[in-house]
Amino acid sequence: MARSDPSSSPASHDQLRRTLIRCLAVGFGSLILAALATAWLTKRSREHAASVTHTYEVEGAIAALRIPIWRSEAARRGYMITPNPAVLDVYRDASGQLMPTLDRLAALTRDNMRQRPRTARLRALLTQLEAIRAASIRMVGDGTVSEASRAESIDASVPILLEINRVARAMVAEEQRLLAIRAAREAQSLYAFYVALTVAGVFLIIVVVLTVVTLTRYTNDLRASRDQLRALADSLEDTVQERTADLSRANHEIQRFAYIVSHDLRAPLVNVLGFTSELEAATQVLARFVDRVEAEAPVLVTRDAVAAARDDLPEAISFIRSSTQKMDRLINAILKLSREGRRVITPEPLDLAAIVADIRATLHHHIDAIGARIDVNGPLPAIASDRLAIEQILSNLIENAVKYLDQGRPGRVVVRGRRTNDHVALEIADNGRGIDPRDHQRIFDLFRRSGVQDQPGEGIGLAHVRALVHRLGGRIEVDSRLGQGATFRLFLPTTLTEPRNPRS
Amino acid sequence: MNSHHTVSIVMIEDDEGHARLIEKNIRRAGILNDITHFTDGTSALGFLFNSPDGPALNGPALVLLDLNLPDMSGIDILARIKADETLRRTPVVVLTTTDDKVEIQRCYDLGCNVYITKPVDYESFAQAIRQLGLFLSVIQVPEVEPES
Repeated sequence: MARSDPSSSPASHDQLRRTLIRCLAVGFGSLILAALATAWLTKRSREHAASVTHTYEVEGAIAALRIPIWRSEAARRGYMITPNPAVLDVYRDASGQLMPTLDRLAALTRDNMRQRPRTARLRALLTQLEAIRAASIRMVGDGTVSEASRAESIDASVPILLEINRVARAMVAEEQRLLAIRAAREAQSLYAFYVALTVAGVFLIIVVVLTVVTLTRYTNDLRASRDQLRALADSLEDTVQERTADLSRANHEIQRFAYIVSHDLRAPLVNVLGFTSELEAATQVLARFVDRVEAEAPVLVTRDAVAAARDDLPEAISFIRSSTQKMDRLINAILKLSREGRRVITPEPLDLAAIVADIRATLHHHIDAIGARIDVNGPLPAIASDRLAIEQILSNLIENAVKYLDQGRPGRVVVRGRRTNDHVALEIADNGRGIDPRDHQRIFDLFRRSGVQDQPGEGIGLAHVRALVHRLGGRIEVDSRLGQGATFRLFLPTTLTEPRNPRS
Repeated sequence: MNSHHTVSIVMIEDDEGHARLIEKNIRRAGILNDITHFTDGTSALGFLFNSPDGPALNGPALVLLDLNLPDMSGIDILARIKADETLRRTPVVVLTTTDDKVEIQRCYDLGCNVYITKPVDYESFAQAIRQLGLFLSVIQVPEVEPES
């Protein structure tokens, strides 16, 4: 199967994060740019609108100035031709509006350095016009006006009026020029706004595209690794099953091997033991014969013959016998272990307290004799396991504890138990002679023992215990120091669910 | 009692030492019947079925059978004997080191008459064989009538 470099996935994850953060930053930047551009443009638009309004106001003010000028002029001329007081009232009304209207215009154009001299000029011209008009009207009112001078007085205002017109037109032209400049600027800012908006939009589109592409790629990667993981998990399960089958097959083969070997070793042993006995019987016959010869014909007896019949042969035979008997015990131990391994285990609910009580009952006489005690501390947890195996394990451990007590102090063996998750932990603690930490592994090996060899045994018990504990799916450990007692801890599954049948 | 003396004992045992020890202890029990010894299955079967002196053709016999033989399993020999019309009444004593329960049951299922596990401890072994000898001295073995 295709396997991606395992180091690539965290790296690509980091890269993805960086890319996404960059995209987000650029996206936010673009949005801020667009917002700033909009705000700026809004401000500029408002300014532009204000300037346009201003221009129209100025134009309006100029137009408003012309009306009273011409109205008052018309009224003056009419009065000069036919001096009617009503006409004079119209004149006074119109010319009274002149200066306030000019003030308003001056106020509007005060900020413009070009317009200010013009308004001043207008003020001067209007004052001049006023003076001429007032003089001509006074003349009419006095009746001192002649026909010739009347016409002259009437037309005296014309050059001033023309000049006023010119100045007013110049002012309008100036305002139009300003408006044109402002409109151009407005167009420019609009253009800038569109550029900014376009840039922001392009960035946003790029960000979106990048994000989508990155996420899609990442999602695809994720999907690929998920599929790969699933495939791996499947194959792992297969591998585990395969290995388990291999292991149980190997275990079965070892058991079978141990059984056959130990079994076949017994056949020659029968011969050795059998003929040793025959030899012993024959030796006795010989010894009796030597005795008789010694008694009846001492000359025939040699010292060698006597030694051979009485000492050498019996000694050799006794060594052969004790060695062979030991060998027989060892072979039987292996046979027992292998038979235990082949036994079908059947889990059932067990009362551990009752089992310990039974073991204590069988040891009753012995512990009374040596003044020892076996106590159970607190209630023991419930367990479902193989009765025979548990009984063997506990009785071996408790018997060992009693066997290797310290002569110097009253022996005490304590059995404790507790439940942890799906396991039962059992402790068999004693205050006996303890085990050297160097031997903690060795004591579980077949035929290996620790400490002073002052007790009978072949080094089989703990090997047997460990084999049984493993068979029950548990483990065993020891905690001990020389002279300070030993604690054996058992961890067994609360419920033995899957009895492994090596024969299957 | 006379007829007992005509019963020959066929011992099928590959281990010479075991054979010798068995014979010695049977003799010590006072059994004087002929003992014919075979160390492999093929020659034993040849004697049982085809030899003019063999039990199929000549007189009653008793078979002492070891299960671990070099060329075949003693169980095959037992099955052959018990399947044969003439020989199936011949008592078969299985005398072997195997003490596997399944094996023992199989032998009885096939018609084995007595199953004895050889004790490794010689005293027990000698005792067992002598008791077997006593047993042999009192059992009645059916006459084999050769088919004409």
